[in-house]
Amino acid sequence: MKVFFKERKPAYFFLPAFFSISCSCSIANHIPTYYSHIDEASLVEELRGRNPAALGYLYDQYSGALYGVIFRILQHEAISEEVLQDTFLKIWNRIDQFDPEKGKLFTWMYRLARNNAIDRTRSGDFVKSTKTGTIGNLVNMESDWRTQKQTDAIGVSELIKTLPEEQRFVVEHVYFKGYTQSEIADEYQLPLGTVKTRLRLALIHLRNRMDKL
Amino acid sequence: MNLQEYIASGILESYVVGDLNDHDRAEVEDNLRQYPELRQELAKIEQAHEAILLRAAVDPPVAAKQKVMAKISSRDTSPPAEPAPVVPAWWKYAAAAILAVALVNGYLAYNYHARWQQSQQEVDELISQNQQLALDRNRMEQVLDTTVGTLSILSDPSFRKILLNGTENSPQSLAQVFWNPTTNEVYLDVETLTALPSDRQYQLWAIVEGTPVDAGVFDAGEQLLKMKNVARANAFAVTIEPKGGSENPSLETLQVIGNT
Repeated sequence: MKVFFKERKPAYFFLPAFFSISCSCSIANHIPTYYSHIDEASLVEELRGRNPAALGYLYDQYSGALYGVIFRILQHEAISEEVLQDTFLKIWNRIDQFDPEKGKLFTWMYRLARNNAIDRTRSGDFVKSTKTGTIGNLVNMESDWRTQKQTDAIGVSELIKTLPEEQRFVVEHVYFKGYTQSEIADEYQLPLGTVKTRLRLALIHLRNRMDKL
Repeated sequence: MNLQEYIASGILESYVVGDLNDHDRAEVEDNLRQYPELRQELAKIEQAHEAILLRAAVDPPVAAKQKVMAKISSRDTSPPAEPAPVVPAWWKYAAAAILAVALVNGYLAYNYHARWQQSQQEVDELISQNQQLALDRNRMEQVLDTTVGTLSILSDPSFRKILLNGTENSPQSLAQVFWNPTTNEVYLDVETLTALPSDRQYQLWAIVEGTPVDAGVFDAGEQLLKMKNVARANAFAVTIEPKGGSENPSLETLQVIGNT
Protein backbone atom coordinates (compact mmCIF):
# COMPACT_ATOMS: atom_id res chain seq x y z
CA MET A 1 0.00 0.00 0.00
CA LYS A 2 2.82 2.39 0.88
CA VAL A 3 4.61 1.59 -2.37
CA PHE A 4 1.38 2.18 -4.19
CA PHE A 5 1.09 5.64 -2.71
CA LYS A 6 4.73 6.55 -3.34
CA GLU A 7 4.49 5.65 -7.02
CA ARG A 8 1.51 7.86 -7.60
CA LYS A 9 1.69 11.51 -8.32
CA PRO A 10 1.07 13.84 -5.41
CA ALA A 11 -2.15 14.85 -7.21
CA TYR A 12 -3.61 11.56 -6.01
CA PHE A 13 -4.00 13.07 -2.61
CA PHE A 14 -6.36 15.64 -4.06
CA LEU A 15 -8.98 13.00 -4.70
CA PRO A 16 -10.43 12.76 -1.20
CA ALA A 17 -10.10 16.52 -0.98
CA PHE A 18 -12.16 17.33 -4.02
CA PHE A 19 -14.59 14.57 -3.22
CA SER A 20 -15.50 16.25 0.02
CA ILE A 21 -15.45 19.70 -1.54
CA SER A 22 -17.74 18.63 -4.36
CA CYS A 23 -20.06 16.87 -1.92
CA SER A 24 -20.44 19.99 0.14
CA CYS A 25 -20.85 22.10 -2.98
CA SER A 26 -23.57 19.79 -4.24
CA ILE A 27 -25.41 19.81 -0.95
CA ALA A 28 -25.20 23.57 -0.89
CA ASN A 29 -26.50 23.95 -4.46
CA HIS A 30 -28.91 21.00 -4.45
CA ILE A 31 -27.58 20.02 -7.83
CA PRO A 32 -27.07 16.27 -7.92
CA THR A 33 -23.60 16.26 -9.44
CA TYR A 34 -20.53 14.80 -7.88
CA TYR A 35 -18.10 17.35 -9.07
CA SER A 36 -18.10 20.92 -10.27
CA HIS A 37 -16.66 22.09 -13.52
CA ILE A 38 -13.22 22.67 -12.01
CA ASP A 39 -13.13 19.28 -10.43
CA GLU A 40 -14.00 17.59 -13.66
CA ALA A 41 -10.85 19.02 -15.20
CA SER A 42 -8.68 17.59 -12.42
CA LEU A 43 -10.39 14.24 -12.67
CA VAL A 44 -9.76 14.13 -16.40
CA GLU A 45 -6.14 15.05 -15.79
CA GLU A 46 -5.81 12.22 -13.29
CA LEU A 47 -7.27 9.79 -15.79
CA ARG A 48 -4.92 10.99 -18.48
CA GLY A 49 -2.07 10.50 -16.04
CA ARG A 50 -3.11 6.84 -15.82
CA ASN A 51 -4.10 7.06 -12.17
CA PRO A 52 -6.27 3.98 -11.47
CA ALA A 53 -7.73 5.58 -8.39
CA ALA A 54 -9.40 8.15 -10.64
CA LEU A 55 -11.15 5.40 -12.57
CA GLY A 56 -12.12 3.70 -9.34
CA TYR A 57 -13.70 6.93 -8.23
CA LEU A 58 -15.63 7.26 -11.48
CA TYR A 59 -16.78 3.68 -11.12
CA ASP A 60 -18.07 4.24 -7.60
CA GLN A 61 -20.00 7.30 -8.61
CA TYR A 62 -21.29 6.41 -12.04
CA SER A 63 -21.35 2.68 -12.58
CA GLY A 64 -24.94 2.55 -11.40
CA ALA A 65 -26.07 5.26 -13.81
CA LEU A 66 -24.25 3.60 -16.71
CA TYR A 67 -25.34 0.10 -15.80
CA GLY A 68 -28.93 1.32 -15.72
CA VAL A 69 -28.57 2.66 -19.26
CA ILE A 70 -26.97 -0.56 -20.50
CA PHE A 71 -29.38 -2.89 -18.76
CA ARG A 72 -32.45 -1.12 -20.03
CA ILE A 73 -31.23 -1.66 -23.60
CA LEU A 74 -29.99 -5.24 -23.25
CA GLN A 75 -32.32 -6.67 -20.59
CA HIS A 76 -29.75 -9.31 -19.76
CA GLU A 77 -27.58 -9.28 -16.64
CA ALA A 78 -24.51 -11.19 -17.77
CA ILE A 79 -24.15 -9.36 -21.09
CA SER A 80 -24.84 -6.02 -19.40
CA GLU A 81 -22.04 -6.67 -16.92
CA GLU A 82 -19.68 -7.46 -19.80
CA VAL A 83 -20.68 -4.28 -21.60
CA LEU A 84 -20.24 -2.24 -18.40
CA GLN A 85 -16.69 -3.52 -17.94
CA ASP A 86 -15.99 -2.87 -21.59
CA THR A 87 -17.31 0.68 -21.20
CA PHE A 88 -15.02 1.47 -18.31
CA LEU A 89 -12.06 0.05 -20.18
CA LYS A 90 -12.95 2.27 -23.11
CA ILE A 91 -13.21 5.26 -20.79
CA TRP A 92 -9.76 4.40 -19.48
CA ASN A 93 -8.18 3.87 -22.89
CA ARG A 94 -9.85 6.66 -24.79
CA ILE A 95 -9.73 9.44 -22.22
CA ASP A 96 -7.42 11.36 -24.55
CA GLN A 97 -10.28 11.57 -27.04
CA PHE A 98 -12.54 13.33 -24.56
CA ASP A 99 -12.93 16.97 -25.57
CA PRO A 100 -14.39 19.24 -22.87
CA GLU A 101 -15.60 21.66 -25.55
CA LYS A 102 -18.06 19.04 -26.71
CA GLY A 103 -19.74 18.49 -23.36
CA LYS A 104 -19.23 17.11 -19.91
CA LEU A 105 -17.37 13.96 -18.99
CA PHE A 106 -20.54 12.22 -17.87
CA THR A 107 -22.25 12.83 -21.23
CA TRP A 108 -19.23 11.34 -22.99
CA MET A 109 -19.24 8.28 -20.69
CA TYR A 110 -22.98 7.86 -21.10
CA ARG A 111 -22.65 7.85 -24.89
CA LEU A 112 -19.87 5.24 -24.77
CA ALA A 113 -22.09 3.04 -22.61
CA ARG A 114 -25.15 3.51 -24.79
CA ASN A 115 -23.37 2.91 -28.09
CA ASN A 116 -21.67 -0.15 -26.66
CA ALA A 117 -25.01 -1.57 -25.58
CA ILE A 118 -26.67 -0.80 -28.93
CA ASP A 119 -23.76 -2.42 -30.81
CA ARG A 120 -24.25 -5.49 -28.69
CA THR A 121 -27.89 -5.77 -29.71
CA ARG A 122 -26.66 -6.13 -33.30
CA SER A 123 -24.09 -8.82 -32.61
CA GLY A 124 -24.72 -12.50 -33.29
CA ASP A 125 -24.91 -13.77 -29.73
CA PHE A 126 -27.68 -11.44 -28.61
CA VAL A 127 -31.38 -12.20 -28.56
CA LYS A 128 -33.32 -9.02 -28.07
CA SER A 129 -36.33 -9.12 -25.79
CA THR A 130 -39.08 -6.55 -25.94
CA LYS A 131 -38.70 -3.20 -24.30
CA THR A 132 -41.87 -3.66 -22.25
CA GLY A 133 -39.84 -5.81 -19.88
CA THR A 134 -38.39 -2.67 -18.37
CA ILE A 135 -41.62 -1.77 -16.61
CA GLY A 136 -40.69 -4.20 -13.88
CA ASN A 137 -37.35 -2.45 -13.59
CA LEU A 138 -38.98 0.88 -13.03
CA VAL A 139 -41.07 -0.48 -10.21
CA ASN A 140 -37.96 -1.97 -8.54
CA MET A 141 -36.10 1.27 -8.71
CA GLU A 142 -38.79 3.29 -7.15
CA SER A 143 -38.74 1.19 -4.05
CA ASP A 144 -35.02 0.52 -3.96
CA TRP A 145 -32.98 3.27 -2.41
CA ARG A 146 -29.65 1.44 -2.40
CA THR A 147 -28.63 3.18 -5.60
CA GLN A 148 -29.23 6.62 -4.17
CA LYS A 149 -26.10 8.45 -3.15
CA GLN A 150 -27.75 11.77 -2.76
CA THR A 151 -30.97 12.64 -0.97
CA ASP A 152 -31.65 15.06 -3.80
CA ALA A 153 -32.15 12.12 -6.13
CA ILE A 154 -35.43 11.41 -4.38
CA GLY A 155 -36.44 14.92 -5.34
CA VAL A 156 -35.81 14.17 -9.01
CA SER A 157 -38.13 11.22 -8.84
CA GLU A 158 -40.84 13.40 -7.34
CA LEU A 159 -40.20 16.07 -9.93
CA ILE A 160 -40.69 13.61 -12.77
CA LYS A 161 -44.09 12.84 -11.34
CA THR A 162 -45.02 16.51 -11.45
CA LEU A 163 -44.41 16.73 -15.20
CA PRO A 164 -47.39 17.07 -17.55
CA GLU A 165 -48.50 13.62 -18.67
CA GLU A 166 -47.10 13.79 -22.23
CA GLN A 167 -43.70 15.05 -21.03
CA ARG A 168 -43.41 12.45 -18.31
CA PHE A 169 -44.23 9.81 -20.93
CA VAL A 170 -41.27 10.89 -23.06
CA VAL A 171 -38.87 11.14 -20.09
CA GLU A 172 -39.81 7.70 -18.82
CA HIS A 173 -39.37 6.14 -22.26
CA VAL A 174 -36.05 7.83 -23.02
CA TYR A 175 -34.41 7.44 -19.61
CA PHE A 176 -36.11 4.49 -17.98
CA LYS A 177 -36.99 2.33 -20.94
CA GLY A 178 -34.04 2.93 -23.27
CA TYR A 179 -35.99 4.25 -26.24
CA THR A 180 -34.55 6.67 -28.79
CA GLN A 181 -36.76 9.62 -29.67
CA SER A 182 -37.30 8.12 -33.14
CA GLU A 183 -38.44 4.85 -31.65
CA ILE A 184 -40.98 6.65 -29.47
CA ALA A 185 -42.26 8.59 -32.50
CA ASP A 186 -42.60 5.41 -34.56
CA GLU A 187 -44.20 3.22 -31.92
CA TYR A 188 -46.66 5.74 -30.58
CA GLN A 189 -47.46 7.47 -33.88
CA LEU A 190 -46.17 10.86 -32.81
CA PRO A 191 -44.37 13.42 -34.96
CA LEU A 192 -40.65 13.35 -34.16
CA GLY A 193 -40.62 17.11 -33.62
CA THR A 194 -43.32 16.74 -30.97
CA VAL A 195 -41.28 14.12 -29.13
CA LYS A 196 -38.22 16.34 -29.19
CA THR A 197 -40.15 19.35 -27.94
CA ARG A 198 -41.65 17.37 -25.07
CA LEU A 199 -38.26 16.06 -24.00
CA ARG A 200 -36.84 19.53 -24.08
CA LEU A 201 -39.70 21.02 -22.08
CA ALA A 202 -39.43 18.20 -19.55
CA LEU A 203 -35.72 18.79 -19.05
CA ILE A 204 -36.25 22.53 -18.71
CA HIS A 205 -39.02 21.93 -16.19
CA LEU A 206 -36.79 19.57 -14.19
CA ARG A 207 -33.72 21.73 -14.16
CA ASN A 208 -35.63 24.84 -13.18
CA ARG A 209 -37.11 23.06 -10.23
CA MET A 210 -33.95 21.22 -9.28
CA ASP A 211 -32.31 24.56 -8.49
CA LYS A 212 -34.95 25.16 -5.92
CA LEU A 213 -34.67 21.84 -4.12
CA MET B 1 -27.78 31.64 -37.13
CA ASN B 2 -30.75 32.17 -34.85
CA LEU B 3 -29.53 30.71 -31.58
CA GLN B 4 -32.90 30.83 -29.88
CA GLU B 5 -34.52 28.85 -32.65
CA TYR B 6 -31.64 26.44 -32.70
CA ILE B 7 -31.93 25.85 -28.96
CA ALA B 8 -35.74 25.63 -29.10
CA SER B 9 -35.56 22.88 -31.73
CA GLY B 10 -34.34 20.47 -29.07
CA ILE B 11 -31.25 19.54 -31.03
CA LEU B 12 -29.00 19.97 -28.00
CA GLU B 13 -31.17 17.55 -26.02
CA SER B 14 -30.91 15.06 -28.88
CA TYR B 15 -27.15 15.60 -28.85
CA VAL B 16 -26.87 14.82 -25.13
CA VAL B 17 -29.21 11.85 -25.22
CA GLY B 18 -27.26 10.41 -28.16
CA ASP B 19 -29.96 10.44 -30.84
CA LEU B 20 -27.90 12.21 -33.53
CA ASN B 21 -26.02 10.56 -36.41
CA ASP B 22 -22.34 11.30 -37.02
CA HIS B 23 -23.03 14.11 -39.45
CA ASP B 24 -25.52 15.99 -37.26
CA ARG B 25 -23.39 15.47 -34.21
CA ALA B 26 -20.37 16.98 -35.93
CA GLU B 27 -22.51 19.98 -36.90
CA VAL B 28 -23.63 20.53 -33.31
CA GLU B 29 -20.02 20.26 -32.07
CA ASP B 30 -19.04 22.83 -34.64
CA ASN B 31 -21.72 25.21 -33.39
CA LEU B 32 -20.78 24.58 -29.78
CA ARG B 33 -17.25 25.65 -30.56
CA GLN B 34 -18.49 28.87 -32.09
CA TYR B 35 -21.24 29.98 -29.70
CA PRO B 36 -20.71 30.26 -25.93
CA GLU B 37 -24.49 30.65 -25.47
CA LEU B 38 -24.92 27.15 -26.83
CA ARG B 39 -22.28 25.81 -24.48
CA GLN B 40 -24.10 27.38 -21.53
CA GLU B 41 -27.42 25.90 -22.58
CA LEU B 42 -25.72 22.54 -23.14
CA ALA B 43 -24.27 22.58 -19.61
CA LYS B 44 -27.76 23.00 -18.13
CA ILE B 45 -29.18 20.21 -20.23
CA GLU B 46 -26.33 17.96 -19.22
CA GLN B 47 -26.94 18.62 -15.54
CA ALA B 48 -30.57 17.61 -15.82
CA HIS B 49 -29.62 14.59 -17.89
CA GLU B 50 -27.10 13.42 -15.32
CA ALA B 51 -29.54 13.92 -12.47
CA ILE B 52 -32.19 11.79 -14.08
CA LEU B 53 -29.76 9.02 -14.93
CA LEU B 54 -28.42 8.92 -11.44
CA ARG B 55 -32.00 8.61 -10.29
CA ALA B 56 -32.48 5.80 -12.78
CA ALA B 57 -29.28 4.03 -11.72
CA VAL B 58 -29.19 0.27 -11.26
CA ASP B 59 -26.45 -1.37 -9.19
CA PRO B 60 -24.23 -3.64 -11.23
CA PRO B 61 -23.03 -6.99 -9.81
CA VAL B 62 -20.50 -6.38 -7.04
CA ALA B 63 -17.71 -8.41 -8.60
CA ALA B 64 -17.65 -6.28 -11.72
CA LYS B 65 -15.54 -3.50 -10.24
CA GLN B 66 -12.72 -5.79 -9.31
CA LYS B 67 -12.56 -7.18 -12.82
CA VAL B 68 -12.37 -3.71 -14.31
CA MET B 69 -9.64 -2.54 -11.93
CA ALA B 70 -7.67 -5.74 -12.57
CA LYS B 71 -7.80 -5.20 -16.29
CA ILE B 72 -6.66 -1.61 -16.17
CA SER B 73 -3.78 -2.13 -13.78
CA SER B 74 -2.37 -4.82 -16.02
CA ARG B 75 -2.13 -2.18 -18.70
CA ASP B 76 -1.22 0.56 -16.30
CA THR B 77 2.33 1.15 -17.36
CA SER B 78 1.90 0.55 -21.05
CA PRO B 79 0.26 2.98 -23.45
CA PRO B 80 -3.30 2.10 -24.47
CA ALA B 81 -3.65 -0.12 -27.50
CA GLU B 82 -6.85 1.55 -28.58
CA PRO B 83 -7.18 2.17 -32.26
CA ALA B 84 -7.21 5.70 -33.64
CA PRO B 85 -10.49 7.61 -33.47
CA VAL B 86 -13.08 7.37 -36.20
CA VAL B 87 -12.28 9.20 -39.39
CA PRO B 88 -13.61 12.75 -39.11
CA ALA B 89 -16.74 13.43 -41.12
CA TRP B 90 -15.12 15.64 -43.71
CA TRP B 91 -12.73 12.92 -44.84
CA LYS B 92 -15.70 10.97 -46.13
CA TYR B 93 -16.62 13.87 -48.37
CA ALA B 94 -13.02 14.28 -49.50
CA ALA B 95 -12.87 10.58 -50.31
CA ALA B 96 -16.17 10.79 -52.19
CA ALA B 97 -14.92 13.82 -54.13
CA ILE B 98 -11.65 12.10 -55.03
CA LEU B 99 -13.53 9.02 -56.13
CA ALA B 100 -15.80 11.16 -58.28
CA VAL B 101 -12.78 12.86 -59.88
CA ALA B 102 -11.18 9.47 -60.50
CA LEU B 103 -14.33 8.17 -62.17
CA VAL B 104 -14.62 11.28 -64.35
CA ASN B 105 -10.94 10.93 -65.30
CA GLY B 106 -11.45 7.28 -66.15
CA TYR B 107 -14.36 8.11 -68.40
CA LEU B 108 -12.51 10.96 -70.11
CA ALA B 109 -9.46 8.76 -70.65
CA TYR B 110 -11.61 6.11 -72.31
CA ASN B 111 -13.35 8.76 -74.37
CA TYR B 112 -10.13 10.34 -75.61
CA HIS B 113 -8.63 6.97 -76.36
CA ALA B 114 -11.63 6.10 -78.52
CA ARG B 115 -11.34 9.41 -80.35
CA TRP B 116 -7.63 8.96 -80.83
CA GLN B 117 -8.22 5.55 -82.32
CA GLN B 118 -10.75 7.00 -84.67
CA SER B 119 -8.33 9.72 -85.68
CA GLN B 120 -5.66 7.10 -86.29
CA GLN B 121 -8.01 5.22 -88.58
CA GLU B 122 -8.84 8.41 -90.45
CA VAL B 123 -5.15 9.15 -90.85
CA ASP B 124 -4.54 5.65 -92.19
CA GLU B 125 -7.37 6.04 -94.64
CA LEU B 126 -6.01 9.38 -95.79
CA ILE B 127 -2.57 7.86 -96.30
CA SER B 128 -3.92 5.06 -98.44
CA GLN B 129 -6.06 7.50 -100.40
CA ASN B 130 -2.98 9.58 -100.94
CA GLN B 131 -1.08 6.58 -102.20
CA GLN B 132 -3.91 5.74 -104.53
CA LEU B 133 -3.92 9.30 -105.87
CA ALA B 134 -0.18 9.10 -106.47
CA LEU B 135 -0.63 5.88 -108.45
CA ASP B 136 -3.46 7.40 -110.44
CA ARG B 137 -1.38 10.42 -111.18
CA ASN B 138 1.52 8.31 -112.34
CA ARG B 139 -0.75 6.39 -114.63
CA MET B 140 -2.24 9.55 -115.99
CA GLU B 141 1.18 10.97 -116.58
CA GLN B 142 2.03 7.87 -118.54
CA VAL B 143 -1.12 8.22 -120.58
CA LEU B 144 -0.31 11.86 -121.10
CA ASP B 145 3.20 11.01 -122.22
CA THR B 146 1.84 8.47 -124.65
CA THR B 147 -0.69 10.93 -125.96
CA VAL B 148 1.88 13.67 -126.34
CA GLY B 149 4.13 11.19 -128.08
CA THR B 150 1.36 10.17 -130.41
CA LEU B 151 0.48 13.74 -131.12
CA SER B 152 4.05 14.68 -131.91
CA ILE B 153 4.35 11.87 -134.38
CA LEU B 154 1.06 12.64 -135.99
CA SER B 155 2.00 16.28 -136.45
CA ASP B 156 5.59 15.64 -137.44
CA PRO B 157 5.88 16.50 -141.13
CA SER B 158 8.82 14.14 -141.68
CA PHE B 159 6.50 11.17 -141.04
CA ARG B 160 4.61 9.93 -144.07
CA LYS B 161 1.13 8.65 -143.43
CA ILE B 162 0.21 5.52 -145.35
CA LEU B 163 -3.36 4.36 -145.18
CA LEU B 164 -3.89 0.59 -145.23
CA ASN B 165 -7.26 -0.39 -146.57
CA GLY B 166 -9.21 -3.56 -145.91
CA THR B 167 -8.96 -6.49 -148.30
CA GLU B 168 -11.50 -9.08 -149.39
CA ASN B 169 -10.65 -11.01 -146.20
CA SER B 170 -11.75 -8.12 -143.99
CA PRO B 171 -13.13 -5.24 -145.94
CA GLN B 172 -13.96 -3.22 -142.80
CA SER B 173 -10.42 -3.24 -141.44
CA LEU B 174 -8.35 -0.12 -141.46
CA ALA B 175 -4.89 0.79 -140.32
CA GLN B 176 -2.40 3.56 -140.72
CA VAL B 177 1.34 3.46 -140.93
CA PHE B 178 3.48 6.44 -140.08
CA TRP B 179 6.86 6.02 -141.78
CA ASN B 180 9.83 8.30 -141.45
CA PRO B 181 12.10 7.52 -144.41
CA THR B 182 14.94 9.51 -142.87
CA THR B 183 15.06 7.77 -139.46
CA ASN B 184 13.37 4.57 -140.77
CA GLU B 185 10.99 4.65 -137.81
CA VAL B 186 7.63 2.99 -138.33
CA TYR B 187 4.57 3.55 -136.22
CA LEU B 188 1.42 1.58 -136.72
CA ASP B 189 -1.95 2.88 -135.74
CA VAL B 190 -4.48 0.09 -135.62
CA GLU B 191 -7.95 1.31 -136.23
CA THR B 192 -10.26 -1.64 -136.61
CA LEU B 193 -8.58 -5.00 -136.51
CA THR B 194 -10.52 -7.78 -134.78
CA ALA B 195 -9.14 -9.79 -131.94
CA LEU B 196 -7.32 -13.02 -132.73
CA PRO B 197 -7.19 -16.42 -131.02
CA SER B 198 -4.28 -16.75 -128.64
CA ASP B 199 -2.18 -18.83 -131.06
CA ARG B 200 -2.29 -16.16 -133.79
CA GLN B 201 -0.91 -12.69 -134.18
CA TYR B 202 -1.00 -9.97 -136.78
CA GLN B 203 2.22 -9.26 -138.64
CA LEU B 204 3.23 -6.09 -140.48
CA TRP B 205 5.17 -6.37 -143.75
CA ALA B 206 7.01 -3.78 -145.75
CA ILE B 207 6.85 -4.67 -149.45
CA VAL B 208 10.16 -3.75 -151.13
CA GLU B 209 10.12 -4.29 -154.91
CA GLY B 210 7.70 -7.15 -154.53
CA THR B 211 9.57 -8.77 -151.62
CA PRO B 212 7.85 -8.69 -148.19
CA VAL B 213 10.06 -7.70 -145.25
CA ASP B 214 9.02 -8.37 -141.66
CA ALA B 215 8.22 -5.23 -139.70
CA GLY B 216 7.02 -6.77 -136.42
CA VAL B 217 4.10 -8.58 -134.83
CA PHE B 218 1.30 -7.10 -132.82
CA ASP B 219 -2.07 -7.79 -131.32
CA ALA B 220 -5.39 -6.12 -131.92
CA GLY B 221 -6.62 -3.44 -129.61
CA GLU B 222 -3.36 -1.64 -129.12
CA GLN B 223 -2.93 1.96 -130.09
CA LEU B 224 0.05 3.60 -131.75
CA LEU B 225 2.80 0.97 -131.95
CA LYS B 226 6.42 1.36 -132.80
CA MET B 227 7.37 -1.32 -135.30
CA LYS B 228 10.70 -2.40 -136.74
CA ASN B 229 12.62 0.14 -138.74
CA VAL B 230 12.12 0.00 -142.48
CA ALA B 231 14.57 1.63 -144.89
CA ARG B 232 12.65 1.30 -148.13
CA ALA B 233 9.11 0.31 -148.86
CA ASN B 234 6.70 0.41 -151.75
CA ALA B 235 3.77 -0.78 -149.68
CA PHE B 236 2.77 -1.98 -146.21
CA ALA B 237 0.53 -4.93 -145.47
CA VAL B 238 -0.82 -6.86 -142.48
CA THR B 239 -1.38 -10.60 -142.39
CA ILE B 240 -2.40 -13.12 -139.80
CA GLU B 241 0.39 -15.44 -138.76
CA PRO B 242 1.01 -17.94 -136.03
CA LYS B 243 1.96 -16.34 -132.76
CA GLY B 244 5.47 -14.96 -132.97
CA GLY B 245 5.33 -14.28 -136.68
CA SER B 246 6.53 -16.04 -139.86
CA GLU B 247 9.43 -15.55 -142.28
CA ASN B 248 7.09 -15.22 -145.18
CA PRO B 249 3.60 -13.84 -145.15
CA SER B 250 0.52 -15.97 -145.53
CA LEU B 251 -0.84 -13.78 -148.20
CA GLU B 252 -4.19 -15.51 -148.21
CA THR B 253 -4.80 -13.89 -144.83
CA LEU B 254 -4.03 -10.40 -146.02
CA GLN B 255 -6.03 -7.95 -143.97
CA VAL B 256 -5.02 -4.49 -145.03
CA ILE B 257 -2.63 -3.11 -147.55
CA GLY B 258 -1.59 0.31 -148.77
CA ASN B 259 0.96 1.75 -151.17
CA THR B 260 3.46 4.35 -150.12
